[in-house]
Amino acid sequence: MSQKLQFIKKKDLWIISGLLAAAFFMLAVLMPGSAKNAGCYAEIYYDGKLAATAYLDEPRIFSIDGLPQVVFEVKDGAIAFIRSDCPDRICVNTGRLDRAGQLAACLPNRVSLRITGGHDDGGVDVVAR
Amino acid sequence: MDKIKYGARRLAVMGMMLAMIAVLSALEHSLPPIPFLPPNVRLGLSNIITMYAFFFMGPRPALLLTVLKSLFVLLTRGFNAGFLSLCGGLLSVFVILLLVVLSRNRCSYLILSIAGAICHNLGQITGASFLLGTPLVLYYLPVSLVFGVLAGAVTGALLRAVMPLFDRIFDKWG
Repeated sequence: MSQKLQFIKKKDLWIISGLLAAAFFMLAVLMPGSAKNAGCYAEIYYDGKLAATAYLDEPRIFSIDGLPQVVFEVKDGAIAFIRSDCPDRICVNTGRLDRAGQLAACLPNRVSLRITGGHDDGGVDVVAR
Repeated sequence: MDKIKYGARRLAVMGMMLAMIAVLSALEHSLPPIPFLPPNVRLGLSNIITMYAFFFMGPRPALLLTVLKSLFVLLTRGFNAGFLSLCGGLLSVFVILLLVVLSRNRCSYLILSIAGAICHNLGQITGASFLLGTPLVLYYLPVSLVFGVLAGAVTGALLRAVMPLFDRIFDKWG
């Protein structure tokens, strides 16, 4: 393993372009409509089970059963984790979600938040569980 | 032939590398998140060391460093972070090894670094899906590809930049 490899080859640029093209293709399929999708709703999963759904056009602040330390807020057509007792706060720092396909998760509390619905998110429906 | 032989020297080199990994990983974790990127996206600076170990000492030391790094993360940041670090690190080392073997050493550093970064992401997302009991992989796949290419290119370039320095240090030692 000690012989020196080349740092970069011409072929690499093709591989990288291919990866990026694949990524953008998947983005286009998974996240249709970069505009806000009216009628989207958020699904909140706790321990792998659907624990709550929230429509993004009904402002409220709530928690789910069994997890009062995590607070969600729906405001201005977006939903966000606004409070959590987890140490890293990745969930809160993810910020506000307002588009189908967006996702935020709090690992320590085993809760994740995903936007689904809207008008034409056929791609998201394909995801099998 | 491995550049660094077994024995006390190798042990000292491994210890030094692990120390560098710990420092880089702690440093990176204490920095504010990169602007405009999701908060859990990081460069993976400590992977530079693991990659160096992989290329110049072989896959086994790299694997050992990966496991030890996860233990360090486990001790300092808790179970979830440690578990995710292990998932990402192991997948990344195995895929780099696979690429090196399959391509008979013809992959460039850049491609291996990018593959490592992408697989680090994918391993972590898979681990997170497992912890959450909800599949996330499909949702994050495109994002992790893009950021993996970015992070892999940056860490690959850094590896390239520090390689002569490391060679000097470890040659003197080994």
